[in-house]
Parts: sequence; structure tokens; C-alpha cells
Amino acid sequence: MTDQTDHSRRNFLYVAAGGLGAVAGGAVAVPFIGSMLPAADTLAAATTEFNVGTVAEGQLVVVQWQGKPVFITNRTPELLAQLDGHDDKLKDANSEAIEAVQAAWMDTPEKRKNRSIKPEYLIVVASCTHLGCIPLYKPSKGRTEWGDSVPSDWAGGWHCPCHGSYYDLSARVVNGSPAPHNLHVMPYKYTSDTVVVIG
Amino acid sequence: MLDTIMKTKVFGWVDRRLGLEAIIKSQLTEYPAPKNLNWMWVFGALAMTVLMLQVITGIFLAMYYKPSAMLTDGGFSVAFDSVERIMRDVNFGWLIRYMHAVGASFFFLVVYIHMGRGMYYGSYKEPRELIWIVGVVILLIMQGAAFFGYLLPWGQMSFWGATVITNLFGAIPVLGEYIGQILMGGFSVGDPTLNRFFSLHYLFPLLLVAIVGGHIHALHTVHSNNPDGIDLDQHDPKNVVTFHPYVTMKDAFAVSVFLLFYSYVVFFNPQMGGYFIEVDNYVPANNLQTPAHIAPVWYLTPWYTILRSFEVKLVGIAAMGASLAILFVYPFLDRSKVRSARYRPMYQGMVIMFFIDVIVLGYCGHSAPTETLKLVGQIATAYYFVFFLALPFLPMIEKTRPLPEGV
Amino acid sequence: MNMKSMLLGLVAATSMMVSTQVLASGGDMHLKHAEINVADQEQLLRGLTVFTDVCMGCHSAKYVTYKGLMDYPELGISREMADELRGDKALTSGMTTDLSPEDAKESYGKVPPDLSLIVPGRRGGADYIYSLLTGYTHDPAGKVADGNYNEVFPGHLIAMPDPLSWLDHDEADTADLEKQANDVSAFLAFIGDPHQNERRAIGGYVMGFLLLLALVLFLLKREIWKDVH
Repeated sequence: MTDQTDHSRRNFLYVAAGGLGAVAGGAVAVPFIGSMLPAADTLAAATTEFNVGTVAEGQLVVVQWQGKPVFITNRTPELLAQLDGHDDKLKDANSEAIEAVQAAWMDTPEKRKNRSIKPEYLIVVASCTHLGCIPLYKPSKGRTEWGDSVPSDWAGGWHCPCHGSYYDLSARVVNGSPAPHNLHVMPYKYTSDTVVVIG
Repeated sequence: MLDTIMKTKVFGWVDRRLGLEAIIKSQLTEYPAPKNLNWMWVFGALAMTVLMLQVITGIFLAMYYKPSAMLTDGGFSVAFDSVERIMRDVNFGWLIRYMHAVGASFFFLVVYIHMGRGMYYGSYKEPRELIWIVGVVILLIMQGAAFFGYLLPWGQMSFWGATVITNLFGAIPVLGEYIGQILMGGFSVGDPTLNRFFSLHYLFPLLLVAIVGGHIHALHTVHSNNPDGIDLDQHDPKNVVTFHPYVTMKDAFAVSVFLLFYSYVVFFNPQMGGYFIEVDNYVPANNLQTPAHIAPVWYLTPWYTILRSFEVKLVGIAAMGASLAILFVYPFLDRSKVRSARYRPMYQGMVIMFFIDVIVLGYCGHSAPTETLKLVGQIATAYYFVFFLALPFLPMIEKTRPLPEGV
Repeated sequence: MNMKSMLLGLVAATSMMVSTQVLASGGDMHLKHAEINVADQEQLLRGLTVFTDVCMGCHSAKYVTYKGLMDYPELGISREMADELRGDKALTSGMTTDLSPEDAKESYGKVPPDLSLIVPGRRGGADYIYSLLTGYTHDPAGKVADGNYNEVFPGHLIAMPDPLSWLDHDEADTADLEKQANDVSAFLAFIGDPHQNERRAIGGYVMGFLLLLALVLFLLKREIWKDVH
């Protein structure tokens, strides 16, 4: 046994043991961190089915999706008309700023304005993009119904009571609001004429 | 490898503020360990390994476990449902739960062998009495933690095991009734019991970690015993090696072999034929029906036999208490000057008999009671106490063999 | 006698005791051996059919959801099959019987147990289930009504009426009934621990890795200890 071979063999074994130990540590971390991800039954409950036909004209319904509130509104032609003419007052009129405010089906200027698959039914995540409060629905124009909680040129939409963010009837954020983005659009699809699957 | 790390700048920065180098030297790289330690000395490191495994898996299980006895469909409960959710829906939940359940049995297995080694080689004797006594405290806390933990799945064995043991305390005169109520939070095992057992099951391992620290501190004050049980000059390289790398690498190898056994059970035989996870615990707790055959998990059965060996309940409880309490005075009962059983022919026979005796006690405690087994259990119980009580008189008749000079 | 050989002796003695214990706990009744393979998709699917057609008339398996059935690769169940199985129940619902506990109690005198954990929850496991299903006979003493006497059920008096019509079946049907009993035992063994195949598969890799690790650590330990002596 020479000193030379002895050392290289020893170093090799040290490195091999250390390497295998690191592999073991990594492999053990997989199930433990994996266990903290949503469980199978939580994932199974990750979609919400809803019949939009049950929402009366002009009304708002809040449903739960993955434990989060979701706005579903049935916009009348009058309410849809209130979307026009104030693009210059919006931070992101075409919903292009980030991924979460747009969807693949927003492929025409019309759809970018309505932010919905079917014009009348707007479906958005009901969390203010500022700090997550649920905004109040104030659909009618002007201050008649809302007093000075809304600006004098109010076009109808949402008002967040926490820090005073404003959104229009397509949930597009109004200039001057602390909220940075429009309300988020989550993935959803219609499985029949009125049944929508969210998530 | 450690040397390279200790030469880095970062290490130097930390060392000037924490005195790390001094600790590493005194506890690892210059801490002396007898050269002649055999493989029986690895079980302390194995026990540490299982303790860590239990704590880690337990923390993750607690993220999903719900301590509630509220009934759900099919006669199950919120607690039982949450365990099944871990087994079925949580990612790798089955692995973590089996590791924890199997780990409990391995913990006792390893600790019992660790204690047997201490008994055989006289590691409890002067100057290591406190290591032994702290060790007995560790054993009691482990038994408590195991008992609390076994209630949590809220199966039939959980429920009836807890009922039997809490009723046991109820037999203690005067205080019994209150002790029972304090344990149960009611007049029978129920939802409040489950909540407090969960709380205590989480607390006890924390105590365990602290007390294991004391166990090791005591060990590092007086240093390890050795198979010959002789006093060694701790500075003479003829006798000792440094803890790191010699003992650490030996322990690392032992841990890898241990993990092979452990993984085999976890992955291929987690119930271990009903010994590690009892069949009746897959049946939800039912306070109106006792399982046909009820026995504690294997690691508690020796004490259960001692309990059952006496007709009068109170005497049984006293005997069981005494069988654990006598472990505390064991170092003082043994008056021999020689430590290791290698050089004590009579003690060697007695201690081997004792090991067999404990296994017989365990076997009797696990089986349904018959006349023969009851008698066997009583004889085994008698020997359990005879072993300890004969120790003070042993030096009068035992002719010890001459001790070697060094290793 | 050194400690090592003593320990080996103890291990041998214990394992002897354990094995006699296991035999003893098998009970006074000798169980028939169930031919099951919890990784055999065809057997599991046949067992699932027996379970839904026969068992689920009275029994539930509440921990097995229809979504769960789809998720287990062993079963290979598609969304369409799951939809067909579940009827009007939600996809996330467990496989529960339509028989209410009250009605069951009135008809049979007790509520049928949930079958999610019936295999791990009975001594003898799948063998017990198989033996029970093919264990209906006439009471030798002639006291218990036909269909309530089972030779492997503890106490022999069973509330569950012969589900596979084993009693007095035609000789020609024996093989078919035995197959049904085997298949449903396999399915019940599978749902008792639905990750068992995955567990054994991962276990193989873990054991292989640990063998390698143990070998390297053994060589390292021996290499380092060359300095000593």
C-alpha cells in the first residue's frame, strides 16, 4: 500500500459517498415537498360548474372557484353601451399588460373591450389587483345612486372599498386607482349554451 | 473534507463569532472514542436517526391530520378520514405515514438493543450512572409519545388501547379518578382526549430532543464505555481514535444498513403482519364494541404482561410501575467493580436470561391469555425482578475474570 | 458467547415466536388462498364490476371516489367509464351505496360495513374475503337458517345473505363463482391501499440505491480504519 494510491482511493470514496448522500437528500426532499402541493381531492375540486342562465339581467353573482370569489355579471345592452367612450381614462383598455388579464379567445377589439366569451356574461376573479379585497358592484352611471363614493364622470363598474380603486363594467382599471391591473380573467369554457366550467 | 471547510473564509468569519472550531474539535475531530468499540455501539446513532425521521415525518403529517372525533359517514370520524386522505389523496402521503408508523416500531427496536448493549457491557455503571438514568427518562417519554400517537388515527385499537390505559390510572387510590379525568378530559375517551393527545404527541418529541441533548452531554463528559468495560487513558492513541472520521464513518455505514431494513418494511411490508400497524386499527373506533382480541403494540407488551400477572389490579399497576422504576436504581443495585459481562460469568448468564425473559414477557403480552401463558408470564415477571434484586448480592459469590490491561 | 452471536440467537428465537404467533392468530379456521394480483388490470376491472353490481347494493367504499378510480393507473378507467359508473353522483363523490343505514338495519339487523379498508382491516386479508364469499354452507347443527351460516365468519352467524349465491350452486358454476370471489377480493385488496403498486415499485429503486450507498460507505469505513491497529 503506497501513500499515493491510498489517498486517491480515499478521496474517491469520500466524493462517491458525498455524492450519493446529496442524491439521497434530494430524493427525500421530493416526497416531502411534494406532499405540501395540493392533494388529489383538492385538485379534483379545482373546477367549478355554473349555469349562467340563472343570473338575472343586470345582476351580479359571486361564485367560488378554488376558494376564491368569482364575479359573474349579466350585462344588458345598456350596460354594454357604457363600456364605450372612456378608453383614455383606463390604464389598460385592451387588456395587454400581463398574462393574467387576457385570454386566447380575446382575438377581436370587440372581445378585448367586453373581456368575455359571450358579450353579456363577464366572468372575472373578484379580487382587486391592488391587495385582494372584493370590489363593490356599482353598475349605474353617474353619482345618483352612489353619491361621492364614485367620481363625477362614473361610467359604471366596480369600486374597491379598501383603497378606492375603480373598474369599469368590463373590470378594466381606471386611471388614478392604486390597483395596477384589470381584474384577472381565469380560464373557463362553455360546455353547453349556458353551463360554464371555470378552471 | 472537514479540514477544507474549516480553512474557508466564511468558516473563519462564523468561527470568530460562534467558537465553532472549538466545538468541532472537542466534540468531533479530537473527541476520543475507544478503538475497540464493536458494532453494538452504533445503535445510539441509529436511535438519533429514527428520532429525526419521526420528527420530520410527523411535522408533515400534522399538516394534514385533523384531531377530531366528530362522526362522518359510514361510522368513521374526521380524524380517521384525515388519515385516509393522507394515505390516498396527499402526494406521497402514504410514504410519509408509513415511514412514521413503521418508524415508531423501529425506534423502540433500536432503543431496546441500545439499552441491552448498555446492560451487557456495564455502560450504566460508575461513572456513567446519569447517562443511564437520563436514558430511562428518554424511554418513558418515548412510551408516552407512542401511547399518545397511537390514539390519533382513531381506529378500534387506538380507542380501546387508550381506554384500557386510562382506566389503569383510574385504579390508583384517591388520585386515580382525577388522573383519569385529566388524561381524558371527560368520563370516557372522546373528542377532548383526542385533542390533548395530539397536543402532547407533538410536545413529547420536543422534550425528547432536549433530553437526548442531555444524554449526549453526559456521555461526552465521562466518555464512552467499551466492550471490555475497562478505564482507558483517553489521550493515548493506543486506546482511542478520534470520533471523526473513524466513528462517524462507521455510524454512517451502520445508518445505511439500518435504512435498508427500514425501507424494506416501509415499502414492502408496512403493517408487518399486524405487528407494526394492527389489523383492528383499520376499523374505525366504536365505543360500543370492543375488538375480540386487544393487546398493546409489541413494544409495550412486556410491561402489559407484568400488569396482567397479578390478580389484584392495583398490585399489577404497582408491579408495572416498579418494573420501570427499578431501571432508575439499576446502576446502584449493581455493586460489582467489573463492568463488562465478558469478565463476569454469573452476570453474563443472568443478563442473557434477562433479555430472553423480556422477549418472553413481550410474547405473553401479545397473545390472548391462556392458563399456560399466564403462568409463563408470572414466572417471567418474577425473573424480571429477581434479576435486579439479586445484583447487590452478586459480588459476594461471583468470581470475575481478570481484566485486560488495554485494548 | 459474545454479544453478536447472542443477538443473532435472540433474533432467531423471536422470529420463531412471531411465526407461531402468526399461525395462531389465523384462528381456528383454515382460510382458502385467494388467487389475486393487485397489478392485474383485467382482474381489477372484473372485481370492480362485481363490486358495483353486487357489493354496492348494500356496501359503500367511501374513500374511493370516481375521480380516484380514474386517477389510478392500475385501473385505466376513462372519464366516460367513470361517468357511467357514477350515474348522478358527483365525480368527487365516494362509491356509496343507495341503501340507507336505517333501511339496512331494518332489513339485515345491522349496518353493512364500509369496504374501503376491509382487506387490511380483517385478519387474513384477501384470503379471508375470498373464503367468506365461498364459505356459505348449511349449518351442521341445523339451527341457523341457510344463507346466514358461514364457516369462516367468527361465530358462523353472519348477517350478510350469501351475496354470490354460493350455497347450493350448480357444480358447473363453481369455477365462475370462485373467479368472481377472487376478482372482488383483488379489487378490495387494491382499494385498501391504492398506492401499493407504486409503493413496491419505488421501494425497489430505494433498496437498490441504499445497497449502493451501503457498499460505498462500507468501503470508505474500511479504508479509513486502515490507519488504526
